[in-house]
Amino acid sequence: MTVEQDCVALDQFPVGMRVLAVDDDQTCLRILESLLHRCQYHVTTTNQAQKALELLRENKNKFDLVISDVDMPDMDGFKLLELVGLEMDLPVIRVTHGACDYLLKPVRIEELKNIWQHVVRSRFDKNRGSNNGDKKDGSGNNEGVANSDPNNGRANRKRKDQYNEDEDEERDDNDDPSSQKKPRVVWTVELHKKFVAAVNQLGFEKAMPKKILDLMNVEKLTRENVASHLQKFRLYLKRISGNQQAIMANSDLHFLQMSNGLDGFHHRPIPVGSGQNVLQNPTDLGKFHHVSSLPLNHIDGGNILQGLPMPLEFDQLQTNNNKSIIAGNSMAFPSFPTQQSSLPNNNNHLVLEGHPQASPSAFPGHQINKRLEHWSNAVSSSSSTLPPAQNSNSIIIGHQFDVSPLPHSKPDSLEWNTQNASSSYSIPFCDSTIPLTSSMNTNPRAFYRTTDLDSNANVQPGVYYDSSQMRQSGNYGPTTDAMLSSNPKEGFIVGQQKLQSGFMGAEAGSLDDIVNSTMKQEQSQGDLSEGDLGYGGFSSLRTCL
Amino acid sequence: MDALVAQLQMQYRNYTVSLYQQGFLDDQFTELKKLQDDASPDFVAEVLSLFFEDCVKLIGNMARALDQTGTVDFSQVGASVHQLKGSSSSVGAKRVKGLCITFKEYCEANNYEGCVRCLQQVDIEFKALQTKLQDMFNLEKQIIQAGGKVPQVDIN
Repeated sequence: MTVEQDCVALDQFPVGMRVLAVDDDQTCLRILESLLHRCQYHVTTTNQAQKALELLRENKNKFDLVISDVDMPDMDGFKLLELVGLEMDLPVIRVTHGACDYLLKPVRIEELKNIWQHVVRSRFDKNRGSNNGDKKDGSGNNEGVANSDPNNGRANRKRKDQYNEDEDEERDDNDDPSSQKKPRVVWTVELHKKFVAAVNQLGFEKAMPKKILDLMNVEKLTRENVASHLQKFRLYLKRISGNQQAIMANSDLHFLQMSNGLDGFHHRPIPVGSGQNVLQNPTDLGKFHHVSSLPLNHIDGGNILQGLPMPLEFDQLQTNNNKSIIAGNSMAFPSFPTQQSSLPNNNNHLVLEGHPQASPSAFPGHQINKRLEHWSNAVSSSSSTLPPAQNSNSIIIGHQFDVSPLPHSKPDSLEWNTQNASSSYSIPFCDSTIPLTSSMNTNPRAFYRTTDLDSNANVQPGVYYDSSQMRQSGNYGPTTDAMLSSNPKEGFIVGQQKLQSGFMGAEAGSLDDIVNSTMKQEQSQGDLSEGDLGYGGFSSLRTCL
Repeated sequence: MDALVAQLQMQYRNYTVSLYQQGFLDDQFTELKKLQDDASPDFVAEVLSLFFEDCVKLIGNMARALDQTGTVDFSQVGASVHQLKGSSSSVGAKRVKGLCITFKEYCEANNYEGCVRCLQQVDIEFKALQTKLQDMFNLEKQIIQAGGKVPQVDIN
């Protein structure tokens, strides 16, 4: 497509662009859908990544763009992106939420209005081919796009930057596996914490890189690294102090995401062996990132700054593949919503998500680092990089998938399914036999019920357990599907009944309906419980009912 | 009738503003309202319903995770918190979101008591919000029934 054609396409694009939105959080999905409609995009939604894949596979030309939440704990959102990218060459926009992320959630309409630009941009870049020197143009492009909507705030730009970063990195590795990249510092959370602690200790105004460096006492960290990080930190602070939307609980994390700079030592935690590695990095057209030299074969102790036993983990990861993909998922740190079973897939694709696990898995570190890397790269370079060989909209924002011919194999889907299966939290609970009685009595964990809106409720902690116990004993009685599926609800329902009785009118508002229905469930449960179980705790249940 | 409508409208305005002032809602809620139009007249209510459903579910998850006899899997708790944070920020449930942030920190610190406390608070907060919003929606209904239009409330 020529540039002229692209321009024409530009005009036509926004309206009617077909978007597939994936998010397992129904609230967010609904909002996203509505926002997209407002932009006059044509929207299809699904809350299951699997379903999304099916839809996409059904007809590869059905959609122009995919927007997906990658923090989906119930399924591998990242994997979806990966697969989408590999199989379909569709541009994917990552949506992440949480204070430590790109502040993309809550999704704003202004941002969505611009997403089509990513689609177009990919075309531009594709036209340029896979030469490495287009940083300048890329930057121009990116700036253009970013500036076109100043109201977007940081989030949008971050998104694009992230994308750029990923792009860069990918291509970097893929195109030129043999070139040595200068190792870069990755500002991990721990590292950044140390940094912040040092800065605080010294006094923000007085903090000097050399002193910070000394205080931090991190091997192999140079003064330059610290200096540049400090600079970014200061810029970041200045920026957020003026930006109301920076509702970041953890400014540290946020900062990290945003401004992980090209501080000299950027370590690429991905084994690059064959250059086909992380799916998340689309083939790098070798922009800025190239220049900054990402270490391709760095699986060794080069990763010092991560503070994680990387080499070790890496080896495990490594097993046989060059195709390990570490999904630098969203940035979340320890409490990252991930699947518990992100395991190295020894077949071909290794997809890991940022793991909250306390386990010293290097993966989280890697991923975080990766992301941080991306961020910093993007921030510094702001070049738009795109996977070269993608026909249509290969704008990958966020995690990119490797364009190189990775055997896109079944094992992935299988693994995914496995992961899905094993990562569902609620199920185990239902099936397991929890010693409820003991927990009820000995357990001072009254979190569930002690405090209520209605102080008369005085529901005991046992209430919740009771419900589950009921469930376990198979006394479903009037159990409806809704009840069954809403296990966690049951406990609440009991309390809720009391709570809601105050204003549960017969009004027909949606909220009312919900509460009403839960109340009804409660009621039946309440009846059930009274009749069937002779729990000590039930007396309290009865009382409150 | 007009007097009634006017009165209701004023009540509605005041109530809504108070919700913002008390920190129950934030800008995102305003954004949500903007998305509501003739084409989707109950958008806000719908989304909020979904949100409350999510709350119940996620709180349940957290409760279970925290209640495991044996080691508590804080990451599991954290995962749910993270999700809740996302949803709450999407709908503008400011207090809930704020709580989630704190909650998350406790998870990361593997602080059991802190987590339990937060869980209780989250439970309280979302229900409080639910109540408040319900009242707000009721007011809206009353206005409409009285023949008036729900006013646009500017929060500034």
